[in-house]
Amino acid sequence: MNSLRGLSTASVAALAVVVALPVAFVLLQAVFPHLAQGSFAEPFAAVWPTLSHDDTLPLVTNTLGLGLAVAFGTALVGGALGAIRGLFHVPGARLWDLCFLLPFLVPPYLAALGWMLLLQTGGYAQQLTGMDAGAFLFSLPGLVFVMTLNIFPVVYFAVSRALATTGSRLADVARIHGASAWRAFARVTLPLALPAFAASLLLAFTMAIEEFGAPAALGARAGFTVLVTAIEGRFADWPIDLPGASILSVVLAVLALLAFVLQHRLAAGKDFETQTGKPVASPPRTLGPWKAPVIVGFAGVALLATVAPLFSILATALSGTLSGGLSLANLTTAHFTALLGQGAEGLEALVTSLSLALGTSLVTGVLGFLCAWCVVKSTMRARVLIDGLSLLPHALPGIVVGVGLILAWNLPFWPVTPYNTWGILLLSYSCLLLPYPVRYTSAALRQMATSLEAAARVHGAPTGVVLRRITLPLVMPALGASLMIVFAIASRELVTSLLLAPSGVQTVSIFVWRQFEQGSIGQGMAMGVVSMAVSGTLLLLASRLGGRRESAA
Amino acid sequence: MAFAASVGAQPAHALTVYTAGPGNLSKKLAAGFEKKTGIKVDVFQATTGKVMARIEAEQANPRADVLISASWDTAQDLEKRGWLAPFQSANASRVPAPFKTTHYVAQGLSALGIVWNARSGTPEPHDWRDLTRPAYRNLVTMPDPALSGASADLLLGLQARLGDEAWKLFDDLKHNGMVVSGPNAQALNPVLQGAKAAVFGAVDYVAYAAAAQGEAVKVIFPTSGTVIAPRPMMILNTSKQQNEARQFIDYVLSEEGQQLVAQAWLIPAREDIAIKRASFKDLRLLPQGDAQSSGASRAEVLARFSRLNAAQSR
Repeated sequence: MNSLRGLSTASVAALAVVVALPVAFVLLQAVFPHLAQGSFAEPFAAVWPTLSHDDTLPLVTNTLGLGLAVAFGTALVGGALGAIRGLFHVPGARLWDLCFLLPFLVPPYLAALGWMLLLQTGGYAQQLTGMDAGAFLFSLPGLVFVMTLNIFPVVYFAVSRALATTGSRLADVARIHGASAWRAFARVTLPLALPAFAASLLLAFTMAIEEFGAPAALGARAGFTVLVTAIEGRFADWPIDLPGASILSVVLAVLALLAFVLQHRLAAGKDFETQTGKPVASPPRTLGPWKAPVIVGFAGVALLATVAPLFSILATALSGTLSGGLSLANLTTAHFTALLGQGAEGLEALVTSLSLALGTSLVTGVLGFLCAWCVVKSTMRARVLIDGLSLLPHALPGIVVGVGLILAWNLPFWPVTPYNTWGILLLSYSCLLLPYPVRYTSAALRQMATSLEAAARVHGAPTGVVLRRITLPLVMPALGASLMIVFAIASRELVTSLLLAPSGVQTVSIFVWRQFEQGSIGQGMAMGVVSMAVSGTLLLLASRLGGRRESAA
Repeated sequence: MAFAASVGAQPAHALTVYTAGPGNLSKKLAAGFEKKTGIKVDVFQATTGKVMARIEAEQANPRADVLISASWDTAQDLEKRGWLAPFQSANASRVPAPFKTTHYVAQGLSALGIVWNARSGTPEPHDWRDLTRPAYRNLVTMPDPALSGASADLLLGLQARLGDEAWKLFDDLKHNGMVVSGPNAQALNPVLQGAKAAVFGAVDYVAYAAAAQGEAVKVIFPTSGTVIAPRPMMILNTSKQQNEARQFIDYVLSEEGQQLVAQAWLIPAREDIAIKRASFKDLRLLPQGDAQSSGASRAEVLARFSRLNAAQSR
C-alpha cells in the first residue's frame, strides 16, 4: 500500500503545481485587489461593486443560455452520430472520425473568421450561390450554430467510444431473452453509455461557456456579451481591472462547477462493469436499409462542420486579395511562398507549437491517467480533492489561468521559475487540457471490472505493474483518443499563448494572430492551413499506429 | 526540471522590449539593433491592452526594459505613477516637440481616417459626417475603442473638439446602422470583402499595407480634421539595463531605425525622413486635448460610448 500512498502524494503535488497554484492566485487577486502590487490591503473591497454592477446579471444569464443551447445542439448532433458510429458498422467510419477530429484542429478564431468570410454579406457563399446569411450569422442562433459545429465532436467521440467498448454484447443478451430491439437499446445500451454521454455534455457546456473566439467575433456584433468576453475586456482595457476580472472568473468557475456537481449527481451509482476480461467477439451490426440515409447524415454534418470552414480558410489563403473575391484571376500561392520567404520564423513557430503539443500530451496523459485511476479505482481519502482539482481547469477560461500563472510565478522569492521560458506555456496548456484525459479515462475505468486488478494483485503484482500491464492497456483507446484532442488543441492554443509566450518565442497561433493584426489575413490563413495539415498528418499516423496495436492485441 | 535548464540558458545581457505591433517592424528593429550593438533583444509583442496587462501583472517582479505602446495616454499614466526613467535621446532633436517629453518619445505616428472600399458602389466619402448619409446605411464599421487604443484616441479627439456635436455624430452613425466590433483588423475585414463599404476611424498604416497588397481600399483623411496617434517609447525605471535600453531608443530614432518605421507605413517620428505616404504635416488635425485625457475622463468617454452602442443594438 506504500506505493499507493506515493502515487496519491505525487498526483496531489503535481496537481498543486499545475492547477491549484494559478487558481489560488486568481482567488487571492479576487479577494485582495492590490495583490499585484504585493499588498494585502482592502480585502473584499472589489467583490460587491463588481457583482452588483448592472452588467453582471445579463452576463451570467447570457453565458448560461449560450452554454445550454450549445450543449443541447451537441447532444443532438454528437449524440446521434456517436451512437450510430458506436453500435453499427458505418461505411467509411475511419474517414468520418478523421473529419470530425478536424474541427479540433481548426483554431476557433480561424473557424469564426472562416464562417464570417463565408456567410457575411458579399462572402463566399453569396459569391457562389447568391445566398446572404449575414443576418443569421451575427445573431444568437448563428453563434450557437457555429459553436455547436466546433464542439460536437467531444460528444461524438465520447459516445461512440463508450458504445464501442460496451459493445452490443449485453444488448444481444437482452435480445436473446426476448427483448425487442428498441427495448434492448433503451434498457441496456443507453444506460451503459449514459455516464460517458453525461460527462461529454458537461464538457461541451463548459467549453461553450469558456470559448472566446466565436463569441468575440460573432457575439459582439449580435449585441450578445458573455462572461468570458467581459473578463477579457477587463484585462485588455486600460486601465486594467485585475480584481474585477478575477471576481467574474470566479463566477464563471462557479457556474461550471455547478454543472459538474449536477452531472455527478446524475451519473452517481450508474457505473457498470462491462470489461470483465472475458474474450468476446462483438462485431458491430450492419445498418441494412438505413445505410444510405446514415451516410447522407454523416456527410451532411462533415460538410458543415469541416468542409465549409476549411473551404473558407483555404480560399482566403489562396486569394491574392479579399476584395478580389473568388475568381481565377485572384488565385495565387503567394501567401504560401511568402511564408517560406520569411525564413525560419514560420518554421520555428510550427516546431514550437508541435513540441509544446507533444509535451502537453505526455504530461496530461501521465497525470490524467494517474488522477483518473486514483479517483475511480482507489479508496484513498485524497480522491475527492484529486477529482475536483483535475477537472477544475475546465471551469476556467484560458486568460484567467494565464494571469494566475503570471501572478504565481513572477514572485521574486522563487529560486527557479518557469516564467519567461517555454515552460510556462507547457504549464498553462497542461493545466487547461488536463480534464480531457481525466474525463475520458475515468469514463473507461468506471466500466472496468475491479476483479481484473484484484486478480493481478492476488498473483503478487505490485500496484505499478498492475497499472502498467492491466489497467493502462484496457483504457488505452479512451486515453489515446483524449490525447489526440489534447494534441490538437495544444497545437493551436491562442489566449494564454498571447499572454504568456516568453519574449522571442512564437507559436503558430501567435504567428497567425499577428498576421491578422497587420491586416494580412491571407498569410495568416496560409499559416493556419500549413499547421493544420502538419498536425492532422501526425494525428492520422498516430491513429494508424494505435489502430494497428489494437488489432494486434 | 527542464525549464530550470532553459532559465540558465537565458542570455546574460539581453534587452527585453514589450511592444504593441506592428510585428514585422519590432522584428526588424530588434535584428538591426542586435547587428549594430551585439545586444540581443527579446521582443514581446501584443496589443497595447495585453502588453499593459502583462506589465501590471508583473509589478511584483518587473521584466520589461523598454515599452513601446500604441497609445500616448498609457505613457502619461505610467509617468504619473512614477514608473518611467527620464531619458532624452540625442537623436530626438529632429522629433517635433509635441511628440517627446522628458520621459518618453514617439517611435512613429499613425493617423486615423476613413478606409473606403472603392468597389463598394458607394460615393467616395470626404468627411466623418458623410458616413451618416443614407448611401452608407448599414455599410459602416468602426473599431471598438475599448480594444483599439488609437480608436479611443479618436473618440477623445472628437469629443475634445466637437463636444456634444461628437455625440450627435456617433448617435447619427448608430442610427445609420454602423457596427462597432473588434480591434482594427476585424473592422477592416468586412470592408475588404465588400460586406461593408467603409471603416470609420481606422488606423492608417494597416490600410496602407492592405492597399499595397492590392486590396481595393483607399485611405481618406476627413476634411474637418482627424487625430494622430503617436506611439510612445519609454524606459521603465525598474530596468536593470538602463544603458542598453537607452542605446535601443537611440537606435530606433536613428536614420536607419526611422527608415524601418517608414517601411511599416507609419509616419516616422523624425521630420527629416522621406516617406511614400501622407505625412502629419499634410493632415488637418483635431486638437490633441491632452488636458482632458486623464484616466477618469477616458474611462467616462469609453463608458458613454459603450452605453450608446449597447442601447442601439438591443
